[in-house]
Amino acid sequence: MISYRGVSKKFGTIVALDDVSFEVDRGEFVFLTGPSGSGKTTVLKLVLRELRPDKGVLAVDGHDLAKISTSQLPIYRRALGVVFQDFKLLPERNVAENVALPLQVRGASQADIAKAVKQALEIVGLGERAGLFPAQLSGGELQRAAIARAIVGRPKVILADEPTGNLDPKTAKSIVKILLDIHKELKTTVVMATHNADIVNSLSLRVISLEGGKVIKDSPRGKYE
Amino acid sequence: MSSAYHQASQRMRRTPYQTLLALLVTTLAFFVAIVFFLDAAAAHKILRYFETRPQVNAFYKQDVVPKPQDVDLLRTKLEGTGLVESFKYVSKDDALRIYKDLNKNDPLLLEAVTANMLPASIEVSAKNPQDLKSIAEVLKSEPGIDDVRFAEDVVQSLLGWTRSVRTSRIVLAATQIFIAFIIILWVIGSRITNRREEISLLQLIGATPSYISWPFVVEGMLYGMVGSFIAWCMSYLVILYSTPFFAGFISEIPGLFPTVVFMLEVLGGAMCLGALVGALGGILAVRRYLKS
Repeated sequence: MISYRGVSKKFGTIVALDDVSFEVDRGEFVFLTGPSGSGKTTVLKLVLRELRPDKGVLAVDGHDLAKISTSQLPIYRRALGVVFQDFKLLPERNVAENVALPLQVRGASQADIAKAVKQALEIVGLGERAGLFPAQLSGGELQRAAIARAIVGRPKVILADEPTGNLDPKTAKSIVKILLDIHKELKTTVVMATHNADIVNSLSLRVISLEGGKVIKDSPRGKYE
Repeated sequence: MSSAYHQASQRMRRTPYQTLLALLVTTLAFFVAIVFFLDAAAAHKILRYFETRPQVNAFYKQDVVPKPQDVDLLRTKLEGTGLVESFKYVSKDDALRIYKDLNKNDPLLLEAVTANMLPASIEVSAKNPQDLKSIAEVLKSEPGIDDVRFAEDVVQSLLGWTRSVRTSRIVLAATQIFIAFIIILWVIGSRITNRREEISLLQLIGATPSYISWPFVVEGMLYGMVGSFIAWCMSYLVILYSTPFFAGFISEIPGLFPTVVFMLEVLGGAMCLGALVGALGGILAVRRYLKS
């Protein structure tokens, strides 16, 4: 599903990724771990085509991202769901309107949007909070709303960048459980960057460990390094 | 388009203070632009009035009394040129009446003059004072005409002045419209700056540039249209309240004060211009942001 082959990325003289290679299969759940500055976010930003690699080939679902034109980029990104550490919910929109955004940008009908938003909010357990605004939600609820927004368009891949970074341990576990449930039920590929050793160690899933922009370990049933 | 309008109006409703500030700024810019335009229109009317004042006076020979059909023929001939604003025949009797009116305080001058001593004449004013010379040439060639007079140097001087005044008014009004455009550009630009995160998010979830741009373009159009409408209402109120004051010393100029129809035309023009300037401001501001 995601194929990194010899990908390098520099920001000026700083090496963010150095000859990184790995494959993520369809329907896999992968943790990206490593200290701050190890390159986890860069890995996700390259998949999202927020950044372009300096070297190497990066392909998603068989498509070489270097060959995706500017006009095709929005279409490509619609196949991805993104969850951010800081939620990135729009403060002037209520929960349902925030969740509806990915479908609105696709030009879906109001009826389809209403149905899909209701389903997504039920999956994350926010069915009763649809009319509230972000300022009225707790941290865990904000992240659940962000996950609902990521899954509402039924993406092939969910990219989660430190989704538990701003949450207490209990809420963090509930958020990861939601992501795992989505992964199992919808067969969605999930790539989650995290610092949370407890969560990684408790699940025994594939872990790609990064340090200094290099993959230092890739274990099918890994632990936090 | 309806989705863009929905998004734009929702954004405006949900950030009422920003919207109010943006509307206030655009309204003031358009108010000044409309005032400058109305001032330019009034200046044009005043200049037209003074430009049509100079006349060509053609005097018949003293012993000639032109037949009415000859006068009508000459009127038709001159009006056929398309250059004539007004044509007036002054008979010997009319000339005497004018003479008596002018000298009513001097009985000695009145006693000595009879209608036969005064020549009949024709007074012609031009739509454009530059054409007075051509009209004078036509009149000179007419049989029975003794003398043709018009103040050529005064006309040239007047034309120079009116040209300067007209140009300065047009430049002022155009400058103000440009300033309104820059202000809308700034307003939309600052709205976009406030929505950087929203735009970034929309890009990441697969929104096309047009999906991102349209609500800002519509927002710019709404500011332009609503701002110009409020500005028009304000300027109309100013006109209604100031008319009695100005009427006291410039009442002799016909059609100087704008009619309802003219003001409605100004409203239509202002709203179209507002929408155009707003849309252009929105397009440029959002394109600059998306490029960066």
